Parts: sequence; C-alpha cells; structure tokens
Amino acid sequence: MANRVAIVGVGLTRQAARRPEVNDPEMVNEAARAALADAQLEIKDIEAVLTNCIDGFDGIHLTDHWLVDGSGSYMKPGMKLHTGGTVGATGAIAAFNMVASGLFDVVLTIGHQKQERGNTMGTLCAAAPGEMREFVQGAIGAFAQAAVQYMANTEAKLEHAAMVRIKADRGACRNPYAHLRLGLKTPEDVAKSPILIWPLRLLDFCPQSCGACALIVASEEKAKKITDKPVWVADHETVHELQSEVVFGGEEEKSQEVASRRLYKRNGITNPIRDIDMAEVYEPSTWEEMYLYEHFHFCERNMGWKMVEKGMTEIEGKFPVNPSGGVLATNAIGATAMIRIAEAALQIRGDAGEHQVTRDVKTAMASGLGGTNWTTLVLLKRSL
Amino acid sequence: MTEKPEEEFIGVNIVSDIPYDWAMGPYSGRLFREMRDNKKLIGIRCPGCKRILFPLPEAVCGWCNTKVADDWVELRDTGTVVQYTVAGMPVFDNRTGRLKGAERPLANVKLDDGPYIMHWLEEKDPEKLKLGMRVQAVWKEQGRGRGYEDILYFRTIGESSND
Repeated sequence: MANRVAIVGVGLTRQAARRPEVNDPEMVNEAARAALADAQLEIKDIEAVLTNCIDGFDGIHLTDHWLVDGSGSYMKPGMKLHTGGTVGATGAIAAFNMVASGLFDVVLTIGHQKQERGNTMGTLCAAAPGEMREFVQGAIGAFAQAAVQYMANTEAKLEHAAMVRIKADRGACRNPYAHLRLGLKTPEDVAKSPILIWPLRLLDFCPQSCGACALIVASEEKAKKITDKPVWVADHETVHELQSEVVFGGEEEKSQEVASRRLYKRNGITNPIRDIDMAEVYEPSTWEEMYLYEHFHFCERNMGWKMVEKGMTEIEGKFPVNPSGGVLATNAIGATAMIRIAEAALQIRGDAGEHQVTRDVKTAMASGLGGTNWTTLVLLKRSL
Repeated sequence: MTEKPEEEFIGVNIVSDIPYDWAMGPYSGRLFREMRDNKKLIGIRCPGCKRILFPLPEAVCGWCNTKVADDWVELRDTGTVVQYTVAGMPVFDNRTGRLKGAERPLANVKLDDGPYIMHWLEEKDPEKLKLGMRVQAVWKEQGRGRGYEDILYFRTIGESSND
C-alpha cells in the first residue's frame, strides 16, 4: 500500500434477532461511539465517514441520506458502499485505501444491518430473471447443495458439521457481542435442530441479526499519536466470480483460492497456518467453514473436516479460526465482514477478552464472502 | 423498589408491492424467446475464449471481456446433476417474497454441452436422488417468455453416468 495504515479504533454493538429499542441511526451511532471511545477520539477528529450495508435485505434504500445523524457524517466527505455480503469488508478496505492514498488521515467506517425488518430471503430470490434465483432459495439452497457435494467428495459426516457449530458456540458464549449463545455441548444438541434444506439444519446456518460494527482507520503518523496498540493493515485483496458457474463448492477454482494465493505470495506466506496466527473467516454455514479451510490453503483439498476433527481451529488450538463465534452465531450482514476484521484486530491487540486465543497473535487474516462467491481478504499485523 | 413497567416500542408495519419490468437485453432476450417459442436452450460462443455464454448470454464475455459476435449454439437440454438438495422448509415465492409450500428438490445440472443450469428436479424421493444422475428438461406446454420458469423441472432419464 502507498502509505502505512492502521486500525486505531474498534466498535461493536449488541446483536439480536430484533432490536426494537433502537432505530437505524441510533444503532449505527452505538458502533460509531464505541469506536470513538476505543480510540479516545471525538467526532470532530474524523475527516470522512463511510457507511456500508446491503440495501434491500432489510427493505430500505438511501441509507447514506438518513444515517447522517447517527454516523456523524454531517458536513463531512464520505460515501455509502453496497457490495453484498462482503460490504463490511469492502467498507473497511475503502477506508484503508483512502488513508493509504494520503488524501485522508483519520476515517470512520461503519457496517450495519437491521434484519428484523424486510425480507432478506425474498429479496435474494426475487431479483434478476435469468439468474435462476427463483430456484436457488437464497443462500441456504446454494450452501445446502455445496454441502451435499462436500459429503460426497470427502469423509465428512453430519457430525463434523456439528463440531463446527459447537466450536462456534463455545466462542460465542465467551463473546458479549455475539447474537446466539446457546451452550451447545454435544453433536446431539445440534442434531435436534430442524432441517432447513438438506443437509443444513437450522443450527448449520447463520442467523439474521440486528447490529453494527465500526472501525477507525488512521495514517502512520496519526495512529502512533492515537494509540499504543495500532493494528497495521499489511495487505488486502478482493476477487470476484461470475454467476454462470457453480457458485459454492464445485470443481472450478474458487475466488478464495485465487485471493489467498495472491495475498500469500505478496506477503511471503508459504505455510499459512504457521505464518498466520489466527483467522476470522466469513462462514455462512458449518460446511462452508470446512470448504474455506481448503480454499484458503489451511489444509489440502477435501481435508477441511480433518482439521475440525483434530480441534486444530479451536480457541486453544494450533490455528484458531473464528474464536468470536463467527457468522454462525452473529450475522447483521452489512456488519458481518467488518466484524471479521474487527475481531482479528482485537486478537492482535490482545483485547478479545474471554475469547482471546491461546496462541500469541502477531499476524491475523480476516475474510469476507458475498454474492456469487466474492472474496475479500485483509491481512493484519502487530508490527510491520 | 417497585418494578419499572416495560417500555412499549412502536413498530410500523408496511407491506409494499414492487412491480418490475425487467429488460433482458438482445442476447438473453433471444434465449428467452427461443425457450418460449421453440422449447430450446441456446448460448453464444465467445470469439475470444470460446466458452459458451449461458445461462445469461450477454454482449460481453464475463471471463475474457471480449465483445461477442453472432455464434449462437444450441444446447441439448440433457445433463448430469452435480449438486442437489431437498427443501425441508417452505420456500419463498420469487414474485411476492412470501412463503409458499415446500418445493421440489433443487439441483445444479451440468448440461451435456458444458454450461450449468439450476432448476427443480421431478424426483422427490430423497432415496432416489444422487450426484451424477442423468436428467432432461421437461418444458411447460405454453412458454411465457419468463426464461427458466418456462421449464417445469428436470426429469430423471437414467442412472449415474459415472460414479
């Protein structure tokens, strides 16, 4: 990147299926205030504000207009981004680029979604004749198909998906900002949940949540003045796929494989689970988490289930993945990809609290996933 | 201490119908006409990378960004199931966004001429569903120019092509 960039403030809100006690600007403001408090800054210190969500998923539009008050963007430059599931990460990456360019020194970026309202699944199914969304049944159908294929191609069983879910819940139960904190103990606890679309049970898939996340991004000079614990943005990558392929699973090369290969090459990463200390990945389903281990080269193809079986990705494990509880526990979708970056930053700072991983985190990776399998990756470091 | 009464939070309920008139463009439009009038699938071959643009043929190839010419190819409506699933819950009506009854199994079919198509399967018995099963499109008697909705579902035409 042109100039060095650091994350100097992280703000998270409570997440729940319904949050009738706040409206959108109020919820966005919770995250913005939390990030400002974390950085010990005031809104006057912020030069530009970005807001990020998926219009339509909660039945709204023009959020950049009516979130001016809550986001603190009155009379400031900025923009609203909207890229699908990746949007929270796209909003963070845009802020990184604004600061890296040298045009801005301190930028606030906020991801948010209030999914109690509107009809996410209806929106996913309705739009765009010819894209066959009327058949796919939103994200659930697409990930269910990929799961069937994963079971056929590997030795993974339903129990492995249950192990992924229990791992997520263990993290979520230690994370005060997680939505679902269920106290799951055994694979039977997961097996009791009803089938949505075979083989995905209710607990195999991410929830719909209401919540927000904010990051404050600063230039090197400012970052060193603002905080003793800047989290440096080492690199980032974004890769898009086409709609005409098998979107999830399948035999074709995935956007995750291309994105991680590029990121690793540029940063001298030859053995990801040795050279990176932990990851926060965007896993819409238990099965997709196993795919992601493979697509990010954490293990060989068709061996993701084995990493789960060995407990390698637990909080205390050799290579922790999603100690926060991940997307399976918490999914205000416009915030989701940004939360991955926020959680990875907290792990590097050592500020993740109860879900701080055992391994010392000097380098962390955060991924985003959206629409026809778009991938974002952000590589964070304690020092550059 | 007396307990504070719980505050009532007001939510305003709104139901809105949003009409669309979706322009398919000349290329996907031609495919949709072909499906409606002749119960045929067609794609357009990219002059650059030679891949067949389908299920949404457009003026530009998404893979290599070459402008397409006029190299239309007919695609057989037979193929192999590469992914499938079975809905255990009511599914969404794409026209209203509201729930309707449980639907047929969903499948990703690799057509014999290469491209993929996503659609329903006629076979509802989960025991009889498997990856690699051979299927063929069953067309609605009267096409309506609604693209893939002019196909009713895909019917099993034989056992696995490979295992």
